[in-house]
Amino acid sequence: MRSLDRLFEHSARALAHRSSRRSLLAMLGQALTGAALLPLLPIDRSGRAQAAEAAPKAPGPENCEYWKYCAIDGYLCACCGGTSTSCPPGTSSSPITWIGTCHNPGDGRDYIVSYNDCCGKTSCGTCECARNQGEKPLYRPSRNNDLNWCMANADANYHCSVSVILGVAEK
Amino acid sequence: MQSFSRWALALGLMFPALAPCAAAAPPPPPLPAEHLSLERLPPRSPHWVYVVDYAFGNEIDGRVHLYDGDSYRRLGQVGTGFNPGINLSPDRSTLVAATTYWARGGHGARTDVVEFTDNSNLGIAHEIVLPPKRLQAVPTLFNVAYSDDSRFLYVAYMTPAASFGVLDPAKGTVLAEIDTAGCVLTIPSGPNRVSSLCESGRLLTVTLDPSGHEASRSMSAPFFDPDKDPVFVQGIRTTHGFAFLSFLGEVHEVDLSGAEPVFVPPWPLVGLAERGHWRPGGEQVGAIHRALGRLYVPMHRGGEGSHKDGGTEIWVFDLASHRRLARWSLQAAGLKPVLAIEVSQDASPLLFLATDAADLAVLDAATGRLRHVEKEVGQTPWQLLTP
Repeated sequence: MRSLDRLFEHSARALAHRSSRRSLLAMLGQALTGAALLPLLPIDRSGRAQAAEAAPKAPGPENCEYWKYCAIDGYLCACCGGTSTSCPPGTSSSPITWIGTCHNPGDGRDYIVSYNDCCGKTSCGTCECARNQGEKPLYRPSRNNDLNWCMANADANYHCSVSVILGVAEK
Repeated sequence: MQSFSRWALALGLMFPALAPCAAAAPPPPPLPAEHLSLERLPPRSPHWVYVVDYAFGNEIDGRVHLYDGDSYRRLGQVGTGFNPGINLSPDRSTLVAATTYWARGGHGARTDVVEFTDNSNLGIAHEIVLPPKRLQAVPTLFNVAYSDDSRFLYVAYMTPAASFGVLDPAKGTVLAEIDTAGCVLTIPSGPNRVSSLCESGRLLTVTLDPSGHEASRSMSAPFFDPDKDPVFVQGIRTTHGFAFLSFLGEVHEVDLSGAEPVFVPPWPLVGLAERGHWRPGGEQVGAIHRALGRLYVPMHRGGEGSHKDGGTEIWVFDLASHRRLARWSLQAAGLKPVLAIEVSQDASPLLFLATDAADLAVLDAATGRLRHVEKEVGQTPWQLLTP
């Protein structure tokens, strides 16, 4: 038991020896100086006040809430190496599609959107997005997003989906 | 030995807590050598459930998990490939998977095939290779389906031209392909009739001759309005046919026991105040216990476009009186929204629910009491089948 006491005493002394009160002060000082320097770094803050007052940014193509995705059900190609209108490298686009009618809050118009699948690789697996506005069951294929629209491709595996504006929807 | 005893005594004096150890009984004998074996399935139980996992995150790797609702154990698995259509034979001895494989995993030459799994051992007994035009879509009972007498097997095709294949499962051959003029899926009835849902809200019914070729066809009057209130394609088997639920909660029962379909007047799941606010939804939108005449529907609050949202409550109906018997809250039971539902057909039925978190819940179908939750049964369990 005495040897245990000795062991702890030795460790405590060694720790005290290595970390002096001065080094603690030095450490704190470095931290405080660093904090003081941060605001001096060359960052443009001129837009900050404006941004604080502006409306929240509209969701972009990597976000399921993006307006063009109102009738999509699958993986967003914008998250898989493509964009909202282009297939990722090494895939092929499906010539047959389903369509949706989506409202663009940016200009207040409704658009006919074609949802093409990108094919030839297995599921992208990122940015799954299921929105079904105006979506109809399998017996109305042109409005159905449950089908594998890669079905007619040479490589018919489903990878992800894009959304392409076809035109303004007539009222 | 003497010096060891002395050391033991010394240790015991220094550390009294170690003293019993020093005097402990000798260690137990080593474990015997084990023998590797193959587990056999027990006899089929009505409380089994086949959980169809679409594996939406890596779709080429769909699976069916066999789960026992009494022991709460997984009993085994069947590999089912890409976007499979799954069904059971009328005698429940066989699980069929109409599916697609590519020669090199996710790419390469495409093979469409029906695989027949022996449900007594979960091994694939045989297969029939299809033309590469199988319908690849979410699960329904009508992607692949048997005739009532098991003589024919029907497989829905889409290229996107719609048709279906007639197969002879006993001989392992494709007998015919029948064009369906844009109508989709294979709703079986009797020994030789196949109905398909049409864009106009009608039902096309093709009657086959003994060789599996078309003998005649008829088109029904519309039985639902696909623009105002479309029906889900995930029909639910009734005693004489199938029930189709609509997006707004109407029940369309179709009697397929005769040569022509008979449409029972539709009835509502929802009251006037609930219409448009509470809806059915998900991937498998209802279950029926045929002997008890009970309909179970996952319901959620939602508007247009929410028809694939999972249910937050189970509503229970009496099929004869159309009366709602119960509302079971799933949130209260700690369950996520329910995407698929099935009920066992025995006298002490279990209700199985698959949630959007891929959990499988087992409930007492008479009371709604939650018996068990099995976490993460696959990735995307979108269809449940009971023997």
